[in-house]
Amino acid sequence: MSGLFAVFKKELCDHFSSYRFVILFALIAMVSFITSYMAGIHMKENLEALAKTRFPFLMLFSSPGALFSMIQFVAFFGPLIGLILGFDSINRERAQGTLVKLVSQPIYRDAVINGKFLAGVATISVLLTSIVLVISGFGLALVGVVPGIEEIWRLLVYLLISIFYISFWLGISILFSIFFKGIATSALASVALWIFLSFFISLGAEVAANAVAPADSQNQTKPEIIVKNMRIKETVSLISPMVLYSKATEIIIDPMRKTTGSIIMMGPMEELLSSRFQNPLTLGQSMIVVFPHMTALIAITLICFAISYLVFLKQEIRT
Amino acid sequence: MMRIKRDGFCLFAFTVFVAVSVFLIFSGTSASEETKKIKLPERGISVAPEYTGVIVSQDEDVSIDLIVTNRGRRDENIDLTVTSIPKGWKAWVKTYSFGITGVHVESDKSKNLTLRAEPDEDLAPGKYKFGIEAKTADGKLTSKSQLIITVKEKKKEKKAKGINIITSYPVLRGPTDAKFEFSLEVENKLDKDSIFNLTFQGPENWDINFKPAYEDKYISSLRLKSGQSQTVAVEVKPYPFEKPDEYPILVKVSSPEAVGEVKLTVALTGTYKLDAGTANGLLSLNAIRGKKANLSVYVKNSGSGTLTNLQFLSFKPENWKTEFIPEKIDTLPPGELKQVEVSITPRDEALVGDYSVGLTAEAGKVSKTLELRVTVKASTAWGWIGIGIIVLVMAGLVFLFIRFGRR
Repeated sequence: MSGLFAVFKKELCDHFSSYRFVILFALIAMVSFITSYMAGIHMKENLEALAKTRFPFLMLFSSPGALFSMIQFVAFFGPLIGLILGFDSINRERAQGTLVKLVSQPIYRDAVINGKFLAGVATISVLLTSIVLVISGFGLALVGVVPGIEEIWRLLVYLLISIFYISFWLGISILFSIFFKGIATSALASVALWIFLSFFISLGAEVAANAVAPADSQNQTKPEIIVKNMRIKETVSLISPMVLYSKATEIIIDPMRKTTGSIIMMGPMEELLSSRFQNPLTLGQSMIVVFPHMTALIAITLICFAISYLVFLKQEIRT
Repeated sequence: MMRIKRDGFCLFAFTVFVAVSVFLIFSGTSASEETKKIKLPERGISVAPEYTGVIVSQDEDVSIDLIVTNRGRRDENIDLTVTSIPKGWKAWVKTYSFGITGVHVESDKSKNLTLRAEPDEDLAPGKYKFGIEAKTADGKLTSKSQLIITVKEKKKEKKAKGINIITSYPVLRGPTDAKFEFSLEVENKLDKDSIFNLTFQGPENWDINFKPAYEDKYISSLRLKSGQSQTVAVEVKPYPFEKPDEYPILVKVSSPEAVGEVKLTVALTGTYKLDAGTANGLLSLNAIRGKKANLSVYVKNSGSGTLTNLQFLSFKPENWKTEFIPEKIDTLPPGELKQVEVSITPRDEALVGDYSVGLTAEAGKVSKTLELRVTVKASTAWGWIGIGIIVLVMAGLVFLFIRFGRR
């Protein structure tokens, strides 16, 4: 255990003192501030909308300021934090010959990978928590709304999901750094995978959906087919962790959202009667709605780490 | 040929004859009119009642047209007097609005005036002779005529009453919570003005008021001139918990001289009122999508009439199911309460959140709607499966730690 702690401490030290981390943190913090500042200004200008919602504080995170909201920003660029923290964690040690030295110390080999992963997770947690706290304080000063208990709980759940999401990408980059000997190779591989999963999956989903249930906006397509098309598209794009994460967080942050689907079939009576009471969902109900998404995120993070653990322990490292 | 010619002659002769005779007739009439005008005397007047003899009952006033005619070529001012008035009568000549003593009549014209005769109260039956005299202003010409009024005996009790009350609709029918309004026409048959008190005798706790017709104020007495009649409305509000039955209301109109009574009847059919609710007053319900959610609802007949054929309806989103046990109630006596079990099943794919579902109990005349807030929740079954998956993954990780760790 002392070995794990030593590695964890050293890694944490390295992360926080590296220029790479400082630059990254500065960049992300700046973009988050700007986004939520814009959101705050937007809220101030649209006070009617603020009066209508029962959770004005959460709007700081969910309402788009300039281009995208805080949660969209984390969904798009959060993975970069994980990738940058982990892409050279093993193969740099190996290239510099320090890995052999490390394991010749009274440190078990599993402590090395565990410590590295935990240090990454800790860094991510500190980073995200501080950003959320700073934005909250910012919102308090700017908009003057105090978060309620329900909102604080929602923010905590949001934080937890975000940590798991970024940790998944950390796990991916550590896995690549174990697989590939070259630092550049592992960096490129992880960035490629990130781009593929985040941006190309949605294109692929559209192609798949149009192949199975062609829905053309010009032709008068039956609503059933449009719904089927949308459903296929959404199902396929769930392969992307980014989609999983954004669906989960948008439900958690916005209590008025009741479904992850973008199109739903509703009869006129159902529509009328469901709009009769405009009540927000409880946190429990919101969580149940996105529980599959949350479960999937946590599971892929753990599986990804398990694979890298297994591969690292089975690997020959002395050569 | 000859024959035809003779016929033609005959036709000609006939035509001439007709033409001549027509001419003669016309010239003859015009001649006679002219001679009439000429024949008018220098002066001449006459006065005559329209009817020279009338029959009236006791206590009845007489108004008769009096025709004054000027037969002369001069316009005349004619003085009129009623020369003989029998004892117990008052009589005078008047126009539509005021009494007169003289009238101006143009040449060859006549004027209609009114002779008004009013008998005293205790006038005996018999024949009464009235003399009317017309005299020109210079007193040279006079004309006399007479009028005979035969007074018949009147029925005794009608005379004693002095008040006549007429109502067109003495029986009104309606539910207990309705407002009934009777219309009475009260006529003063006394020979003098009087103030009449309005009183009633009705069922206990009822709200009964007198109102002038078309006016919104309550009155308790009424001033009527002799012979005048007025409409009085009787407004009746029954006691809200009265049983359905017929209830008489005796309305009395009384003055020191006379009393009149009329019996009005209100027939109550009972009220129809339905109440519905839940035992604890909560109108919200939690339901898991695709699963039945149960609610106990009571229906109560809070009216005074029996409700029959009570049915239940629901206003719900499409593809939702609602069931009522029992599906309908045949009879629900007044004051009785019955429980109905309602089960609501949301659609499998219903979104989580709040829906409004209306339940209506309907019994022909009355209905009552309850609006429920149904909170649809997602089943937690999948949540547990998700937690199971995570636990499984964690277990795998722990297995890896134990199996491969410490190398």
